[in-house]
Amino acid sequence: MSSEVVPSESTTFWQSIQRAQATIHSLSLILGPLPEPLTFSENPTISLLHDANISHDISSRLHHPNSGSGDDNLCRWLYDTFQSTDPGLQLVVLNFLPTIIRVYLSRVVSQKSLAGFEAILLAFYAHETVIRGGEPLTVILPNLTNPSVYHEAKVPTKSKAVDLNIAILSPALEPCGTVRSTKRARIIGVALELYYSKIHDMPLTSKQEFCEFCVDWAGHNRSLEEEKQSNPNSDVSCADQQEEMIQVKGGEEEHKKKGRRIPLPWELFQPILRIVGHCLLGNSNSEELKEVALIAVQCLHLRALHDMNPQAILASRSLLRLAKMPSDTIFKPHLVSDSSDLTASQLASND
Amino acid sequence: MGFDGDSDGGEEDGISSVREVSINGLTMKTAEVEAKLDEGNIQEAESSLREGLSLNYEEARALLGRLEYQRGNVESALRVFDGIDLQTAIQRLQPTFSEKPASRRNRSRTESIHQVSQHAASLVLEAIYLKSMSLQRLNKATEAAQECKSVLDAVEKIFQHGIPDVLVEQKLQETVSKAVEVLPELWKQAGRHQEALASYRRALLSQWNLDEECCVRIQKRFAVFLLYGGVEASPPSLASQIEGSFIPKNNLEEAILLLMILLRKWYLGKTEWDPSVMEHFTFALSLCGETSVLGRHFEEVMPGIYPRCERWYSLALCYSGAGQSRSALNLLRKSLNRHESPNDIMALLLAAKICSEDCLLASEGVEYARRAITNARSVDEHLKCVALRFLGICLGKQAKIALSDHERTRLQAEALRSLDEAIALDRNNPDLIFDLGLEYAEQRNMNAALRCAKEFIDATGGSISKGWRLLALVLSAQQRYSEAEVVTDAALDETAKWEQGPLLRIKAKLKVAQLLPTDAVESYRFLLALVQAQRKAFGSSKNSTKVEDDKVTEFEVWQGLANLYSSLSHWKDAEICLEKARALKPYSAAILHTEGSMYEVRGETKDALAAYSNALSMELDHVPCKVSIGSLLSKIGSKSLPVARSFLSDALRLEPTNQLAWYYLGLVHRNEGRLADAVDCFQAASMLEESDPVESFSSIL
Repeated sequence: MSSEVVPSESTTFWQSIQRAQATIHSLSLILGPLPEPLTFSENPTISLLHDANISHDISSRLHHPNSGSGDDNLCRWLYDTFQSTDPGLQLVVLNFLPTIIRVYLSRVVSQKSLAGFEAILLAFYAHETVIRGGEPLTVILPNLTNPSVYHEAKVPTKSKAVDLNIAILSPALEPCGTVRSTKRARIIGVALELYYSKIHDMPLTSKQEFCEFCVDWAGHNRSLEEEKQSNPNSDVSCADQQEEMIQVKGGEEEHKKKGRRIPLPWELFQPILRIVGHCLLGNSNSEELKEVALIAVQCLHLRALHDMNPQAILASRSLLRLAKMPSDTIFKPHLVSDSSDLTASQLASND
Repeated sequence: MGFDGDSDGGEEDGISSVREVSINGLTMKTAEVEAKLDEGNIQEAESSLREGLSLNYEEARALLGRLEYQRGNVESALRVFDGIDLQTAIQRLQPTFSEKPASRRNRSRTESIHQVSQHAASLVLEAIYLKSMSLQRLNKATEAAQECKSVLDAVEKIFQHGIPDVLVEQKLQETVSKAVEVLPELWKQAGRHQEALASYRRALLSQWNLDEECCVRIQKRFAVFLLYGGVEASPPSLASQIEGSFIPKNNLEEAILLLMILLRKWYLGKTEWDPSVMEHFTFALSLCGETSVLGRHFEEVMPGIYPRCERWYSLALCYSGAGQSRSALNLLRKSLNRHESPNDIMALLLAAKICSEDCLLASEGVEYARRAITNARSVDEHLKCVALRFLGICLGKQAKIALSDHERTRLQAEALRSLDEAIALDRNNPDLIFDLGLEYAEQRNMNAALRCAKEFIDATGGSISKGWRLLALVLSAQQRYSEAEVVTDAALDETAKWEQGPLLRIKAKLKVAQLLPTDAVESYRFLLALVQAQRKAFGSSKNSTKVEDDKVTEFEVWQGLANLYSSLSHWKDAEICLEKARALKPYSAAILHTEGSMYEVRGETKDALAAYSNALSMELDHVPCKVSIGSLLSKIGSKSLPVARSFLSDALRLEPTNQLAWYYLGLVHRNEGRLADAVDCFQAASMLEESDPVESFSSIL
């Protein structure tokens, strides 16, 4: 048995390498010659995912005014690469999801053909539909009167069906052949759910860009800036971060070129919040990411207030408050570590 | 015998005071050893310790390492620890413990043996733990985690049946607790998230005899990791689970369970209040839309934690999110009371929004919105347009139930002005354009409404269904039925099957309006098939109502069909449809009204009147019945004309745009000889006829 498994594993390994190289080759036909180390990398997929130059090249092409049509080569490449079903290569495509969504949403009003973008988004949606079997994602809210793995309860429950509260995190999915406009938010929302499920593997830049786009989508950066001028210590504003934000945006001119305010129904707002929540409170070491995520959350919270959506207000408000609380770390920063170190002083009790 | 820990040495300030090590009843100053260490002579330092304190090699090294670690010489501590073969030391400790667990009766006899070995174990385990911490300080998180893990592995080997509650030496327990707590954080630092996850579960699911505070810290960190870590966890294994206990099956479920446990520990007074727990919990539950459950937890929070107005506002958000607007409004009323915080803009806005959904609350909403506008200064300036928006909507709603024409016109004009102002403040918000369009439509200014509806569809890229419906209804009000149908068809194209209900209903009604009964029946058939399929697909689960609230009900379809058939005088078919509708909703004014109109057409006036008045006794404000009774009475004879007039006026009070009511009122006036009044009424009726949508605009919301 094992003698069969080993060669087949290695052949799949080689197949995946070959597939990756073929993918890189076809990308080079679109972008022009690619750097040598990428072509001969031991793990071409990972290199491709984390290659900043190529990522930059691809996103600037995606931003090109004529991108996203049905015969856009790059879109076709992204689509084919995602359809290769190689998990590593799928990550490469997902990496560009924030950019694709942003460009797509900013043009969707213009009545241009965006079939290229739509094909990719539909591929994401279809992928999720298959994974979930079309079923909704549910969350069972536990009833603490019954025991769980993490706690004991006195009342022994025998066979009695307890009233479990089932919450729906993401409703059932039906297959979609085209992007119907009223379904657009849902399709993008599902694509974002897919992105979120892989977010741990996403390069930092991709997450950072996503947070920056959220600022545009929420459409409340202006009020945030005004707020800063009038009252730096308000509940929503946070003076230091806003300095950053203005830098991030780099002037009103550029802002106009960038995204536009979009309708943010809950089916879109919810996955966005999950992603931003990860960027803000996940275990990331990047302060830059946290800063831009904080600005995104501030803008999203303002948007929630304008839309008066209670769920969105509650969720974004909590993120904001959590961001202001001191972060809970067990280790002190290395610089301060001498005899006053916490762990050392606690241990120094037995000599 | 035994190593006696001397806990009150001068070590806390470390450098200044004289250090001593006392073990085995012997004491020695550390200065001498430290001096040797400083020269880099580990072996000499070690041997002097062994001689001075009669220790074995491992124990001396462990002590030495700790000394170095405490002095902050991490690298040198590591060198010392590296000299110890910890694994063999552990193995040496093992046999004593891996004997059969002492039964409760002979505990006292075995205790002394346990004590001895525990001291030895304590020293060795602490050495490994400190080694791990040294590695961590040198930014070698992965190695640190591996060392730390080996502490736990060792403990599990030594205590094969979990750490007993009473028999453990304090120092040993401390080391174990720290290692358990630190391990997941080390894995996280090393970027090994699956291991971090596993070690969290190991910490919480195995018997480590952790104290409550430590356990709380681990649970909280684990919940945070699950919520934001972005690493999907597989469900915890089923091994060693009590039967029937709840096992979370995904990250969010597990995080919510942990947070609930944490909150309960606090309610029971076992831990300190930690505000972040509630915020994490709020985030998690809002994400799954379970704000009613969240509300219950806000209610359980002890007084004194949140200022009461803040708690009321949070609760109001929860209830309003769960669709319990009335409860939410009552809480907001408390908080907006003159004696609490009457000018809290967030509460005012939420209250205004809730009021804007109900005609009868509209005037209250106007009050809140106005107060919000006056209080939207500096920081909250940007919220002014939100307040203006709800002011506009509330005024529009208030106009609907205004008692006099004069007041109505005033309110309507004000409503438009507020919405215009709001748009001026926030030009990028298409929702405002929709609200304005709807208000124009309600005021029968169809050209303006049409412009807004088109603008809204353009701005949203047609992604919001209510925009399409507004456009179709406005066109139908302009009697441009075929165009309305084109819009409806386009909207159907842009809508997935399951959500087509309201559009199909409009389509059917458009066909009726165009006098195309067969087409209308066809549309209704589609609609019926859809509704029934929906019932089959979602019928069993209670949640379906929450997910889609703008679904067409089966009842509506049967009733629509009954009306259609009765207008075609297909009495039998109409009866069948009514029967179906009645089965779904036994006491319905609408059904009785249809029944009544069937009697009326067949000339059975008495039965018709009976049906209408039955309907009115079920629903006092059923306008179509009032109109029908009015029209019936006006035909009976001159004696009943005054009664007819009062019914019709009543109907118009409730629904000033009811074209039929104006028409019949005109007839009544004419029959009673008030020609000028009659002319006014007929004029109103004819004007309204040209602006009557196929279904009321309020059906869009």
